[in-house]
Amino acid sequence: MSATETRRRLQTTRGFYKNYIKTFYESAHRAKKEDRPVAWVASTFPVEMLQAMDVIPIWPENYASVCAARQVSVRLCEAAEREGFSKDLCSYARCVLGSIFGEKDLPEGGLPKPDFLVASTGACDTHFKWFQVASRRLNRPFFLLDIPYDTTGIELKGYQVEHYAAQLEGLISFLEQQTGSQFDINRLKEVESLSDRTSKLWMEIQDYRKAIPTPMGARDAFSAIFFMLCIPGSEMAIEFYGRLRDELKELVENEIGVIEDERYRLVWDNLPMWFNLNFFDYLNSLGAVIVAETFSHVWAGNLDVSKPLESLARKYLPNFANAVVERRIDLLLRLVKDWSVDGVVLPTNRGCRMMSVGMTVLKDVIHEKLGVPSLILDVDSSDWRNYNEAQVKAEIEAFIEMLSSRG
Amino acid sequence: MHVLEQFRTLLSTRHKVARNWKSQNKAVVGWTCTYTPEEIIHAADILPVRILGSSGSTRLADAYCPDNMCSFCRSCFDAALKGDYDYLDGYVASNSCDNRGKMYDLWRRHAEISYIYLINTPHTNTERAHAFFYDELVRFKKSLEKAFQTAISDQSLRTAIKVYNENRTLLKKVYDMRREDPPLISGAEALETVLSSMLIPKEEHNKLLNRLLREVSNRNNPPRSGVRLLVSGSIMNDAELLKIVEAAGGSVVADDLCTGSRYFWNLVDSDAKPLHAIARRYLDKVPCPFTYQSEDQFRHVMDMTKRYDVKGAIIFVLKFCDPHLFDAPLLKKELESSGLPVLYLEWEQAMTGIAQLRTRIEAFIEMIRGVD
Repeated sequence: MSATETRRRLQTTRGFYKNYIKTFYESAHRAKKEDRPVAWVASTFPVEMLQAMDVIPIWPENYASVCAARQVSVRLCEAAEREGFSKDLCSYARCVLGSIFGEKDLPEGGLPKPDFLVASTGACDTHFKWFQVASRRLNRPFFLLDIPYDTTGIELKGYQVEHYAAQLEGLISFLEQQTGSQFDINRLKEVESLSDRTSKLWMEIQDYRKAIPTPMGARDAFSAIFFMLCIPGSEMAIEFYGRLRDELKELVENEIGVIEDERYRLVWDNLPMWFNLNFFDYLNSLGAVIVAETFSHVWAGNLDVSKPLESLARKYLPNFANAVVERRIDLLLRLVKDWSVDGVVLPTNRGCRMMSVGMTVLKDVIHEKLGVPSLILDVDSSDWRNYNEAQVKAEIEAFIEMLSSRG
Repeated sequence: MHVLEQFRTLLSTRHKVARNWKSQNKAVVGWTCTYTPEEIIHAADILPVRILGSSGSTRLADAYCPDNMCSFCRSCFDAALKGDYDYLDGYVASNSCDNRGKMYDLWRRHAEISYIYLINTPHTNTERAHAFFYDELVRFKKSLEKAFQTAISDQSLRTAIKVYNENRTLLKKVYDMRREDPPLISGAEALETVLSSMLIPKEEHNKLLNRLLREVSNRNNPPRSGVRLLVSGSIMNDAELLKIVEAAGGSVVADDLCTGSRYFWNLVDSDAKPLHAIARRYLDKVPCPFTYQSEDQFRHVMDMTKRYDVKGAIIFVLKFCDPHLFDAPLLKKELESSGLPVLYLEWEQAMTGIAQLRTRIEAFIEMIRGVD
């Protein structure tokens, strides 16, 4: 049986790219033509604030993953490198910057030019500096949500939440100025209520993956997460996740797994190699399936509409990129325990300090606390020049071999 | 010994110097980012020393650090693992950049230091950021007071401000000795002068700086005239790179380095309430590219090129330093549009590929000479 046939395909995610992602970019281009406000936004930014102001959020990160999946990311990275941006920078950033430096034949017609850009310090240096570079190049205003670092990784301090909420007030003034509309707290509450439902459905989906055999692997998760990431406060997200949840529920009730012979249950940390999503099919062919991704867990968060600003702080502030390592350890330990995991894959990302530095700590702690082994893989999210497939496969096979000898 | 040699010696014997201070029953606290308000540490009668690495092997740190991590942070961490910093009573970390923020995790886990504090550092200098940073410094001060069982009075903060401002003013005078042609001290010497100021009590450093200003004209081996250059970048642990530039016929007369002018260029307002004035000075100083206000740094660079009559610039970016890497292409353009030739180089602490860098530096200096 070839690798691609090992995996059972879900009904709900079939044609995902065409049905949802393509449509998303088409509607963004349309919005731009109709003069509706369009903003570039970076992950960990409280996108609900934009949705509440009827601003169309465009996610350059998502676009980079699209370019990688469509095998054009390296051409765009090279365009950025020709403009002096180092090959060691994040491949998402290089790819998107490359797309605004006059390259032709861009997937989905390129990103719509933003009316303004917003980012938060909560993800990494890269996001914010990359957006700053883009804002200078495109000559569009840039708002930086400057948020505190989560210094305990366990419990947020009151002053951190307060400062975050204070920064949101600065954001409101910026958005009002950019859009010419009045901010309406009730509209924000509506969006938050939708976003909260989206998160809950997404977490239900994750919970179904605890089943043995698991009904869904990483390949579907990395597609389906699109709504959670990009448009959480929307009816479309809720409708889609409702259907996905129902499909998984049925599979679990009938004990149908995403692969027939599930032997190794793995956690995947951080990003996939978007240019090579077939990699997950290859894992499946070895009897291994990804039952949880840290990436699928950091974006969900409950929102209490009675405290609309504070709850955005509580949702977005403690993501593990903006926290001491305890936050990431806590999540990984939970995933390993509750999802009955045999091994953890920790892929570094060549251009990402945030994800790569400290991986040895994760590996050590997971082993110390739960006796579960981890594999650190040197890869890249979008630049396949930093990816050695033969070596990665050899490491994976040795890791699986080791898991099998543990019984 | 000429005072310039003394600075160089202080740098190479920095751990011994710190241990001597400890032997007087005084504490030593290491810091890692120039946004660390040293005045508060000084006011607690603790010696603040900047954590520095070296260009040697980082075998111990390599076990914990991925290849794509900043080699400066790696090298500092390696020094800690080797025990070079076993005299530290405390370590002040920062979330100013990703590499540093993540080092906090590694130091807490692997370096045996009883007191570690991360200063939550804003990336903007808006009034909201100022309010947050002031509160953060109040928390830092309290935490220091508790850990070292001491009280930090406004009076001792004022004294610290005075001593630190004097040091900054004197360093600027030393820098201005390079406005002359040939400059009275070399770029390598200027860097060693600044680096040494981060390692010993500022009062002692002030005495040495005063001596340097008096004695500089008596030196028997003054620098020769060379192609006047500005060097921009992040951190330099030692003067090796600048020595290469100056051996190739360059004369480094100005810099925009975190271990150079960006460290001392701005004073604390000595008339305002001390802790407020300290907080304001750090967030408003000539910025590092990790901040939103990079344009202020570019302006500083352009001012330096005029003040020191510079004929060219070299941008040395330490590999894997994202904030500098993102800003460098724009800084290069700004410099070039003012008519200055610019050489952009990426380097690593371990000085790998140094032969190639040397060749490019030599060619660059030759090119400027040819034009003149």
